Amino acid sequence: MMDKLKLGVFELTDCGGCALNILFLYEKLFDLLEFYEITEFHMATSLSEGNHYDVALVTGTVSTQRDLNLLKEARNHSEYLIALGTCATHGSVQGSVELPIREKLKAVYGDGGNPMRALDSKPVVEYVAVDFALPGCPYDKEEVYQVLMDIAKGIEPVRKDYPVCLECKLNEYECVLVKKGLPCLGPITYGGCKAVCVRSGLGCIGCRGPLPGEVNPASEYEILKGLGYDDEYIVRKFKTFARWEP
Amino acid sequence: MIIEMREFTRVEGNGKAEIVIEDGEVKDVRLQIIEGPRFFELLTLGRHYYDVPDIEARICAICYLSHSVASVIGIERAFGVEVPEEITLLRELGLIGEFLESHSLHLYLLVAPDVFGYPDAIRMATKHGELVKEGLALKAFGNRLRVIVGGREIHGINVKPGGFGRYPTVEELEEIERESEALLRLARRAVRLFAQLGPYGAKAKHFVATDGYLWGEKLISDEPGEFHYTERIEERSLVYSFAKQSLYKGEAFFVGALPRLLLKSEMLTPTAKRLFEEHREKLSTGYVSYNNLAQAIELVYSLEKANEIAKTLLDRGIEGENVPVEPREGEGIGYVEAPRGLLIHHYRTDASGNISYSNIITPTALNHAMIEASLLKEARELYGEVDEGRMIGRLEETVRAFDPCISCSVHLVKL
Repeated sequence: MMDKLKLGVFELTDCGGCALNILFLYEKLFDLLEFYEITEFHMATSLSEGNHYDVALVTGTVSTQRDLNLLKEARNHSEYLIALGTCATHGSVQGSVELPIREKLKAVYGDGGNPMRALDSKPVVEYVAVDFALPGCPYDKEEVYQVLMDIAKGIEPVRKDYPVCLECKLNEYECVLVKKGLPCLGPITYGGCKAVCVRSGLGCIGCRGPLPGEVNPASEYEILKGLGYDDEYIVRKFKTFARWEP
Repeated sequence: MIIEMREFTRVEGNGKAEIVIEDGEVKDVRLQIIEGPRFFELLTLGRHYYDVPDIEARICAICYLSHSVASVIGIERAFGVEVPEEITLLRELGLIGEFLESHSLHLYLLVAPDVFGYPDAIRMATKHGELVKEGLALKAFGNRLRVIVGGREIHGINVKPGGFGRYPTVEELEEIERESEALLRLARRAVRLFAQLGPYGAKAKHFVATDGYLWGEKLISDEPGEFHYTERIEERSLVYSFAKQSLYKGEAFFVGALPRLLLKSEMLTPTAKRLFEEHREKLSTGYVSYNNLAQAIELVYSLEKANEIAKTLLDRGIEGENVPVEPREGEGIGYVEAPRGLLIHHYRTDASGNISYSNIITPTALNHAMIEASLLKEARELYGEVDEGRMIGRLEETVRAFDPCISCSVHLVKL
């Protein structure tokens, strides 16, 4: 049998969910292990034996000098680097706090300067070139499974190019924006989550970041205005996961 | 001289510790939470209450529902909203799902490799595959509850002030009733396995928990009287950690499964109570390492309780009605037992329902001083007695006993 691919999981600053979600693959994780050997994954193993990775998964934002060093190490020692989850691809929640780092630190920890070398939280993609970006807070675990299987078989994984709305229609969920007047970012948000929030009868909160290309944020903005939501509310909603200028 | 431990493995998030040696003796230990700060309270400040629980869920993946529920309760208390029993039972069902998901992750995938001498559960699976599978089965059921109540395995948005987006169906409740009964055998076996772990870490002097088993109106401790956190708990910033440190009346204290059992054993379900009694003598010593055994007993509690709640809801039927929520100026605290201990969400709201003040204290921040005390005690006992590698291995196990959740701990603010 051919040698297994070496897989590294690198966690920068985040909630741990994108790393945890890999463990939530259950039996499918063992399927992946037919093709991959995990050589770095500090949430799951005490071994750390890699200095070269065929595939590196990087989760979280760059929020400290430590994160930045780790990211560079992952990039320099990997063939194929995947920015995994909305923190890594868009900055997500901690990336959306807009004050400069010194002011944020002062508000939280009081006057003490910056001894731990915190940085303004930014997505991985702002610091290094990535080979694939898979958003989601968290990403859909079936999606990461597919991407890793594709790579193992030498196929370039496919980037999705449709909004959450499409998956909502495919599942025949009732449109919460039109029928209930709930704020739903489904029309402008990157699909791939199977419209899981609309399944609960609630609006999409945009956790996969904005869909690039031919979307119409202005129209979404007008719809929400028409439903009675004020400017500030809409802008903050748009920016929660992606610092997006509507 | 400083012995620097490398970053902890098999814990959630990024942390490490330094052991300070002076004149050949262990002088001090510093727990460094190096996970970057995440500023959640700044993020929620000024935001409309309706969106806040979904944002707070993002604090942590392992215990997102505890954050959603604590946030929702804090907001409801600020508005003076009371919810009926059906809604509180469903919230409890979700919290139980989180106990199962988190405790089985911790015990089977993170701690068990120490018991059997492996670097991780994947490599342990070659010889102990059945055990790993049992852990994954419990974890999957916990996640199933999180999907049914919370909306998805991680960061669901189904838990809302006043109720839920979607209520469970009869079929789902029947599935819970069935599965919880079937899995009980595995949880009882976990108790036997983790009862083998010996005492290490410090003996906790103070314990703190909510007054109900899964959540509460007030806090209780090993001393008489109920109280709000501001009356006995104080936070302070540290120059070497992104997590703040909390003290109970100026001293280190312990929150988590062991404190819950010791303070609230009368609230346990029948089998869990019997198992607690069986191991009471050991648990009562207060060694932090017995937190692992306490979590295993809580697996039993969770399955029995889930079964009981599913039966109750099936008997009375689900109405699926949300309670109307009228925003007003107010203040409220949500106290919830996250899997790894007490979680506090404290909010003030303005008349239009926007957040004007927010303070969140997580279990790992509450345990920060206790973790340091435990590391100090272990390091003093082992330094010079065993080689450095073994000492550090044991120190890592000591940290792991707390089941720390480091990502949760790095966003504490008072404004």
